Amino acid sequence: MTVFSIDEVRKTFSNGEVKEEILKGVNLSLREGEITALVGASGSGKSTLLTIAAGLQPASGGKVLFEEKNMTAMSPEQVRKIRACKFGFVFQFAHLVPFLTVEEQLMLMLDVSELKLKKDEQKAEIDKVLKLVGMDHRKKAYPSSLSGGEKQRVAIARAIIHKPKVLFADEPTASLDSKRSKDVMLLIRDLTKTLNITTLIVTHDEEMLSFADRIIKMSDGQIAG
Amino acid sequence: MNIAWKEIKRNKIRFLILGSIIFLVSLLTFIISGLANGLSQDNAALIKDLPNGVFYMDEEAEETYNLSRIDRSIQDEILSKHKEAAALSIQMGFLNDENDKQRSVAFVASTESTLFENVKSGEIVLDRSLEEEGIKVGDTFTNNQYSSKFVVKGFVDQKKYSHAPVAYINLKDFKEIYRVEEMQLIFMPGGDLTLNIPDLQSFSKKDFLNTIPSYSAEQMSLNMIVWFLVVISGMLFAIFFYMMNVQKIGLYGILKAIGVKTSSLFKMMWTQMLFITIIALLLSITFSQVFNMIAPKGMPFSLTATTTGLLSLVFLIIGFIGATLSGIQIKKVEPLQAIQQGEV
Ligand SMILES: Nc1ncnc2c1ncn2[C@@H]1O[C@H](COP(=O)(O)OP(=O)(O)OP(=O)(O)O)[C@@H](O)[C@H]1O
Ligand SMILES: [Mg+2]
Repeated sequence: MTVFSIDEVRKTFSNGEVKEEILKGVNLSLREGEITALVGASGSGKSTLLTIAAGLQPASGGKVLFEEKNMTAMSPEQVRKIRACKFGFVFQFAHLVPFLTVEEQLMLMLDVSELKLKKDEQKAEIDKVLKLVGMDHRKKAYPSSLSGGEKQRVAIARAIIHKPKVLFADEPTASLDSKRSKDVMLLIRDLTKTLNITTLIVTHDEEMLSFADRIIKMSDGQIAG
Repeated sequence: MNIAWKEIKRNKIRFLILGSIIFLVSLLTFIISGLANGLSQDNAALIKDLPNGVFYMDEEAEETYNLSRIDRSIQDEILSKHKEAAALSIQMGFLNDENDKQRSVAFVASTESTLFENVKSGEIVLDRSLEEEGIKVGDTFTNNQYSSKFVVKGFVDQKKYSHAPVAYINLKDFKEIYRVEEMQLIFMPGGDLTLNIPDLQSFSKKDFLNTIPSYSAEQMSLNMIVWFLVVISGMLFAIFFYMMNVQKIGLYGILKAIGVKTSSLFKMMWTQMLFITIIALLLSITFSQVFNMIAPKGMPFSLTATTTGLLSLVFLIIGFIGATLSGIQIKKVEPLQAIQQGEV
């Protein structure tokens, strides 16, 4: 089932007088429970497309349809609400909150997504997700004491704890070695399947493509082939 | 979950530094304003503590009260019309005790009035500060211009003028010492400033205080320091929070990306600002009140609860404004900025 689609999305950046069209009408639809991998040369517009899809920056034209509603026509507050409740993000760096423990990072996400769980329900949910990503033994640790891979796993836990409909990941394995990268990709695949998430992932790494259900190639601001 | 509090807990040193700066600046402000108030009390309690009213002095005195000579007929006319009004004269001078030790005092003499001490010729009533220096009722004093002796009749609280204790004497004795017939001033409690009396110039209490040369200069410079400190502390708040916010741009971006409301980020900053400021203010209020109690007797220091409360409120408001102004950048942070900048 398609819960998310992108329709003729354009993006133009203007550097002073010069206008540059980075996305030249992109069409794409994502299916539930599938990992769609976005590949392409550096500068082809992958990150731009992913961040527009995720509601992190506006498009210059076209539609981003989530649950049949056009996000490009929504107010910033409506987009924020969707980001908070329906989307999850993983980026190249974990971007954890430095002064919160692993457990608190997840609690913050639960607060933000307004899931209205009771304290013990929150605890149970956090324990469950941390077990899923294999970080339950470091619940009380601060990010500064975690390794890169561990941070990334916490970031993934944060991205899925509120049961998002769509997971966006931009080079989630780029800062990890190949063993850790595989672990992270396995984890993302498992979560996509078990939680029936719609996942869009950008990656440079050929090896990671074996985890994807669908591979889409971008070149020069358009879907190629 | 209270992330404002979690951040303070995790970054104790940073917030401790901010708190101690606010503590020091506010303590300094309290002490200076206590000093300003103490000095003003020391300089003019005699006038300040009078009820609201109007002072009259001779127009030709050009606002210098000890050049003022109010015509006797005018004085009699006013005093007969306004029963509560009193004519008075103030003159700095010296009293010599039995060991010929000289003390500087402000001689005050007035016509019959409930606002001033009325003493008989040869008697004197002194400010309480002299009692604290060991002078007792019954002690005698002389003055170079006075043929007889003054006997101390009693003491009164908080009667100071021009940084000297007030000595109330009888009008007759005053005239003998200073060889004048006319009075300098007429005070009309609750009087009407617009009431014009020929040949006399009217002053409100505040205006009259400002004709005391040292008074206005002293108060102006001290009050300037106080407001300067308040402004500085406002700027400190702004700068400190600005620096903290700049360091946290990446964090704000990430929090916005995951869906935290901008208003929550402001609330986080306000909570931290209020927490730090209130603790710092409570500490400096305690310290300044302790100082108020243990300050040496001779030190003109007087810090009332009203002044402290008012200044604290100003600090809170200015801290709030400073933090909020510096927080405008939070509003501008784009979630993408953080993600593209890499590790936070
Ligand atoms: N904010 C911006 N202002 C101007 N140009 C931008 C901006 N963001 C991206 N671009 C440009 O858009 C183009 C596509 O960038 P994008 O980050 O989407 O590429 P990418 O496919 O993700 O590349 P990479 O694989 O290196 O991450 C690049 O040429 C980039 O310089
Ligand atoms: Mg990219």
